[in-house]
Amino acid sequence: MTQPAAANFADMEMRLVYAHTLNELIDRDPNVFCLEADLAKADATIPIVATRHPANFINCGVQEANMIGVAAGLAREGKIPFCSSFTAFATRRCYDQITISVAYANNNVKIVGTSPGITQGPNGGTHMCFQDLAIMRAMPNMHVYSPADAHELRAVLFHMASTRQPTYLQLIRLKVPPLSPEPVAFDPQRARRLHEGGDVTLVATGYMTRFALEAARELAAEGIGVDLLHYPSVKPFDAESLVASARRTGAVVTVENQSILGGLGGAVCEILSERHPVPVRRLGVPDRFGEVADQDYLFEKHGFGPRHIVLACRELARRAP
Amino acid sequence: MNEPWSREQLDRLAAEFRYVVTDAICRSGVGHIGGVMSLVEIVITLYFRILNVRPEEPDWPDRDRLILSKGHAGPVVYTALAYKGFFPKSWLCTINRNGTRLPSHMDQILTPGVEITAGSLGQGLSCACGMALAAKRDGRTHRVYCIIGDGESNEGQIWEAALFAAHRRLDNLIAICDYNKMQIDGRTDEVLELEPLADKWRAFGWETFEMDGHDWDDIHATLLRAREVTGRPAMVIAHTVKGKGNRETEGLVDCHNVKIPDEATYRRLMEGLECRFDLPY
Repeated sequence: MTQPAAANFADMEMRLVYAHTLNELIDRDPNVFCLEADLAKADATIPIVATRHPANFINCGVQEANMIGVAAGLAREGKIPFCSSFTAFATRRCYDQITISVAYANNNVKIVGTSPGITQGPNGGTHMCFQDLAIMRAMPNMHVYSPADAHELRAVLFHMASTRQPTYLQLIRLKVPPLSPEPVAFDPQRARRLHEGGDVTLVATGYMTRFALEAARELAAEGIGVDLLHYPSVKPFDAESLVASARRTGAVVTVENQSILGGLGGAVCEILSERHPVPVRRLGVPDRFGEVADQDYLFEKHGFGPRHIVLACRELARRAP
Repeated sequence: MNEPWSREQLDRLAAEFRYVVTDAICRSGVGHIGGVMSLVEIVITLYFRILNVRPEEPDWPDRDRLILSKGHAGPVVYTALAYKGFFPKSWLCTINRNGTRLPSHMDQILTPGVEITAGSLGQGLSCACGMALAAKRDGRTHRVYCIIGDGESNEGQIWEAALFAAHRRLDNLIAICDYNKMQIDGRTDEVLELEPLADKWRAFGWETFEMDGHDWDDIHATLLRAREVTGRPAMVIAHTVKGKGNRETEGLVDCHNVKIPDEATYRRLMEGLECRFDLPY
């Protein structure tokens, strides 16, 4: 299978970007491995990785717990395993295996949770995981990334392959519009300012960032300045950028494709409550399970779609001193 | 390298191991004496007669690996590592104490010679599969040994790993089940029946052996045979006695995790052993 030119990645489904980028990583370092738990076709690593690098491709079958252990053993031997499954099965299904065999032992395993949050759509509540950012971020030694477009995904994957640390990556499998026309660098210590403004701070990650950017542009047209901070890394978390922005605007809105308990909004509140308390509105899924439904239905039901971001920012911008 | 050992030497080493490890556990006030004592002969045979390891170079790439998936038996492996020279024997009296490098359960970061962190049951065998797979991919010929418990075999992950290892034809993987037929809450046939255990492993595609886990010749001969299996992983079911070698613990269900709250309990446990030795710390 021919490797696409780098310039074309922005126009591809993110799962294809993932699979092709893994091929590149294996080309550069044969210690990189691709592990799957019978969702390789959904991730496009069958056929993309399986045909080009069959010796580095291991389909474990439907056994996520064993996949994590096998990955820990590979990592102990100097390999760099990337293990993927739907977010629910890649994290909560094998949380203790990740905790002990990976994080506590500090084994260099890369866990890739695919189709985060509402992007699980038709699979419904059993598969729709809203807590992976929260539970993975609560784990010592674990690094947690949630890139928002293909450029950022590639930068994150190259970073993951070149650093020796347990890491969790939230992978959107869909095609998403690029945030920028050109490839970007990834620095886990730094938030990206995607829009400047002095009236309200808007904090987003992963799938919700593009909607946050649309909201910021819409509000700019009516004279409300949104300072939009996008966090491709939820852990480590760039607290300095957040606090500096909150000092300027005096109000913060967070939005994530996750529960509002413990994820990005939780991280923001932990930092601001200790360092610079200001009004915060957390947008995301309230304390509820998922269901079979499309995106617009879930945005409306739980109040975290584009129009809710606009409303929350408008309200908090007015309240800010 | 491993030297020839007489039965008398081995018996004496096993008695010394039991004496030292019991004393070390007693000093911490609590420990998994039962599952430690059932593994003494197996662990001595592995470290002194089977495994190709270099104590002065714990990460030597061609070493044989031993993973103790039933991580609570760590102290018996620590004793072997200390007597083999991976670290000073004086460390043994720190087992389970504040700031120790020898925690109750195996820790690959803290302890030289420990391959994989284990203690949450069921996980070590999966890690062993990954290490065996890495050896295959790298064209290395060392073996990966993994000791699991019978109680641990209640865990579904053990059987996930069993499927995986057979499917991947990991013939460089040799698992040993410490089948002392007891777990925390009772006999294994009362808590969750494992039988027919050997048939289960055969059905999962493993070349399966059974041995007396306290008989030097049987252990040595069986592990040598297991090492020669090709095309499939090997399982050695070791029939053992929990708490073996101490009148106060041998064959008693309640010896899984023993509390030593006072001097009298300590004396009783030490006097239950066959011989006395000078402590190396």
